[in-house]
Amino acid sequence: MKKKVSNPIPAPSSRRCFYGFGIPGAKPDELVGKLIVVEGADGSGRSTQIAKLVEWLESIGHATVQVGLKRSTLVSEELERAQNGNVLSRTTFSLFYATDFADQLENIILPSLRAGFIVLADRYIYTLMARDLVRGMNEEWLKNLYSIAPVPDAVFYLEVTPEELVQRNLSKNAALDYWESGMDLGLSRDWFDSFLKYQGAMQAQFRRMQKSYGFTIVNCNRSAEEVNDELKKKIGAVLGEK
Amino acid sequence: MKTFAQLGFAGRLVAVEGLDGSGKSTQIYLLRRWLEAEGVKVYFSEWNSSELVKSATTKGKKRELLTPTTFSLIHATDFADRYERHLLPLLRAGYVVLCDRYIFTAFGRDVVRGCPPEWVRGIYSFAALPDLTFFFKADLEVSLNRILDGRPKLKFFEAGMDLRLSSDPFESFRIFQGRILEQYLAMSTEFNFTVIDANQRVEPQQQVVRKLVAERIDLDEFRRHSPLPLPPPMRRRNGDTPAEPEESAA
Repeated sequence: MKKKVSNPIPAPSSRRCFYGFGIPGAKPDELVGKLIVVEGADGSGRSTQIAKLVEWLESIGHATVQVGLKRSTLVSEELERAQNGNVLSRTTFSLFYATDFADQLENIILPSLRAGFIVLADRYIYTLMARDLVRGMNEEWLKNLYSIAPVPDAVFYLEVTPEELVQRNLSKNAALDYWESGMDLGLSRDWFDSFLKYQGAMQAQFRRMQKSYGFTIVNCNRSAEEVNDELKKKIGAVLGEK
Repeated sequence: MKTFAQLGFAGRLVAVEGLDGSGKSTQIYLLRRWLEAEGVKVYFSEWNSSELVKSATTKGKKRELLTPTTFSLIHATDFADRYERHLLPLLRAGYVVLCDRYIFTAFGRDVVRGCPPEWVRGIYSFAALPDLTFFFKADLEVSLNRILDGRPKLKFFEAGMDLRLSSDPFESFRIFQGRILEQYLAMSTEFNFTVIDANQRVEPQQQVVRKLVAERIDLDEFRRHSPLPLPPPMRRRNGDTPAEPEESAA
């Protein structure tokens, strides 16, 4: 149990392990399913890609289950309200998100992996860590907090330039999201500028984390079909499909 | 880890820890009344927080949704909210803050539930240490009797029923409290607890507490010079429903 939280960070692999402490009582060897993580900003095409992957995986006979941020039974509602009211401080938010993650981890991810499912995670601890790192939180603290997480079998970071992201978000909603623009950081009072700066900073964090966590960066300034073909090929390799 | 004084805060934090039924809440209440009478800028903070976090905690407890990990995290969230929104500003502003339970409650309880100690401590590492921590050390039987005499119905998590120690809530509570006491005793030296013999009557305990506080904190430095009143108890936000009385923090 007294595994070191610091280096080396395990890379995504077929041999199941946790980033550190894991969950009390959870045995890595029992987690025989696959955990596939798709990371990326809003507008990077995450949901589209995941929907296509589910369709494909089920068509070839795999059972799938999906998880994502802010979807826990325990705290999702309260987290949503806190976000709208913008009333919680940074550490509180961070721990609230960690609670949401842990609840899904114990109630969905681990049981599904035990049952041999393919778990598709629409974002994972990396987004949570990157958001906090951009906001100046301590990296060792975050690593300890998320040492409960299992190392996925594959992590894909869907990367889109901030300039393209802003276009996609506006085209979809005609407005920018407060949090996705990092407005709480005071980078700029202009939402457009703030969005570009914030997304640029998030991307830099992902690039930096990629070096230690070893996830795959997928260029998503391309058509959804091209991206999906690449994902299928790589996931196929993880699953041992030809 | 450093204390608030070591970190250069204007205020001081005094925490009380101990089992349910150790009498710590009575003692901190009397301490508070004395400091108020002495004209000290004092603020009392309980182990509860924003309605928002509490709503999730209550739901988790009612539906028995919590695992050791989520139990630990949701209480850490709750604590962080109180710490950043209330304790830090008050301590910056030069208050003597009295806390009924502090991070050691979580250290003991979460570890008894099976969370790795290093993990729990890492999570709470954002919090500074109290300038003075009183540990009210009563015999297990004394604490148990004080609680079990007055309150016949024990809640699920309060009794540690999630640990499957016993199918009888009273027996489970006894074992659970016994394990928490072991954790407190183990932390006592490490965190420099000031141990108070809580088997004694209320009055002699309070005398010792007041004497120690006066020795360790120069109360003259914390006297009120402005006509401003002392802050009200922690307010819940508009539209929030009144809190239920706080149940046992364990």
